[in-house]
Amino acid sequence: MNAKQIKKMLPVTGKYLFLLLVLFFVMVPILYTISSSFKTNSEIMAHPEHFFPEAPTLENYRIAWSDSDFNIPRMFLNSVVYTVFCVVFTVTTSALAGYVFARGGNFTGSKVIFAVFSSLMFINMGSITIYPIFEVLGVLKLSSSLWGLIVMKFFSVGIINIYLVRSYIRTLPPELDEAAEMDGCSFFGIFFRIMAPLLKPILATISILAFNSSWNEYLMPTLFTLNNRQQRTLIVGIMSLKNSGASAANWNLMLAGATIAMVPILVVYAIANKYFVEGLTAGAVKG
Amino acid sequence: MKKKKDKKKRWSRRTRKTLTCYAILSPQIIGFLVFTLYPILWAASKAFYYYTGTPSATRFVGLENFARIFTVDSSYWETWGNTLLFTFGKLPLELPLALFIALCLRRGLKGAGFFRAAFYLPCIISIAIVGLIFTNLFDYFGFINAWLMKLGLVSAPIDWFSNPWTARVALIIGSIWSSFGINVLYFISALSNVPEELYECAKLDGASRWVTFRKITLPMIAPVFSTILLLAINGTLQTCEYILSTTRGAPHGSTYTVMAYVVNRFVPGFADMGVNVGYGCALALVTAVIMGGIAVLYTKLTAKLQNIY
Repeated sequence: MNAKQIKKMLPVTGKYLFLLLVLFFVMVPILYTISSSFKTNSEIMAHPEHFFPEAPTLENYRIAWSDSDFNIPRMFLNSVVYTVFCVVFTVTTSALAGYVFARGGNFTGSKVIFAVFSSLMFINMGSITIYPIFEVLGVLKLSSSLWGLIVMKFFSVGIINIYLVRSYIRTLPPELDEAAEMDGCSFFGIFFRIMAPLLKPILATISILAFNSSWNEYLMPTLFTLNNRQQRTLIVGIMSLKNSGASAANWNLMLAGATIAMVPILVVYAIANKYFVEGLTAGAVKG
Repeated sequence: MKKKKDKKKRWSRRTRKTLTCYAILSPQIIGFLVFTLYPILWAASKAFYYYTGTPSATRFVGLENFARIFTVDSSYWETWGNTLLFTFGKLPLELPLALFIALCLRRGLKGAGFFRAAFYLPCIISIAIVGLIFTNLFDYFGFINAWLMKLGLVSAPIDWFSNPWTARVALIIGSIWSSFGINVLYFISALSNVPEELYECAKLDGASRWVTFRKITLPMIAPVFSTILLLAINGTLQTCEYILSTTRGAPHGSTYTVMAYVVNRFVPGFADMGVNVGYGCALALVTAVIMGGIAVLYTKLTAKLQNIY
């Protein structure tokens, strides 16, 4: 290898070294958490420098799976139910709303509604608004239940998803709708017969993002299950164990719980990571 | 039946379409009125009351809550100080790091897709779990202390969460870990919009890497950069759950962000029973106005970046 070749190689090697270093710092916290969930609590406390467990054990998972208070199977089920409803509602309502704003032909008031919905992004009163929300849901007897939160999700405005669908539909040729309209298809019918099949890619992205955010949600499910421990989701249960007085004695359970909470997300990400990435770059920063 | 059909016919196609549109949007319109607008108005109006949830004890206090915020309540303003400290400690490290990584990953580097996917991994993990992971790593008997000792960098374990400054360092590290990946993606997409010919010209003119970066890359991505920065500032100022899942303000409320402070003091499940929710509403209102003000100010200041080319 002559000097010129070496000079050319050097920056590339440097880049890889740097990227590998970043990769190391990214992976260590995740891998350490997963690996520690197979340690005994005494090893976690006494030998934090061990990356791998001395004698891997499934004991933490066994306890977590059968503990009556820290009821992982039930919490897991709650998380699944909550996530499924959130994904279905988000995809349906944002697809329909995006269609209306893209092809509604500037119906009376459309601009005002869109502007008002968009301004939501900039007004944030924080979680203090949980009081009036409980007041409203209390009328329906839903204030301290995960179902109340699911109902609220159905009625919520996912403006970012609406933006995604709207801009996606605008790239489709309007002749498609016009032809269907000529053939006597209604505005609503065009959505189901023509649009819905074409929207599959963007809806896949939206459902993945909705899956990710609802599975991970912490504050709202916590507030809605305060008086209803049976309905706690995984994240809520793990965090309430952390905030209880005995957290230090329970690192093994918390790390096992955290691993169980992470695995579904990691699996989906491994299979479908392009959808995670596409939605963000398509919607957020384009020009 | 016939009459109904006639009536339907008399409606123009356009009217019918408008009605369909409203029917489709009705869940969101109802949701907006009931779950967004009403709660905001409720909170804004309760800011003028002493309100603990017991109707009999509720009374109108006028501007008293606001007067207390601006004259007595120093702990609220201290959380603002900490929020700004957190933001300006985090972003000057995170954004250049993300930009530098994005620059490395550009232009057909082998394995770029793998690195991009791996760096985004922390972003998909629940912020509460991130809090848990970093509380564990920075524990007094935790992984980081153990390795700092082993490598001989410190002689005794650091009690990270008992000192405001070390606690902030730990929080900032965890926060950067969890969110830099998304900024890498943003920067990659910003860089991909810079025409390749510009770099070729620069190369022909013999410009160095640093000059190329300063004279071409930075100005070309400036408009997008200002958007990325706005998102990052906004997101970091509104940090809430991360603090609730790590320090919860410890030690002595020194690591609260504003949003986390309001939740921890006034939201059920976190707050003490019987707190003056009216005061919490006043705090939330003042907070929302300041946050909005920062966003508007930022947009005004960076407006000229938008038409730089």
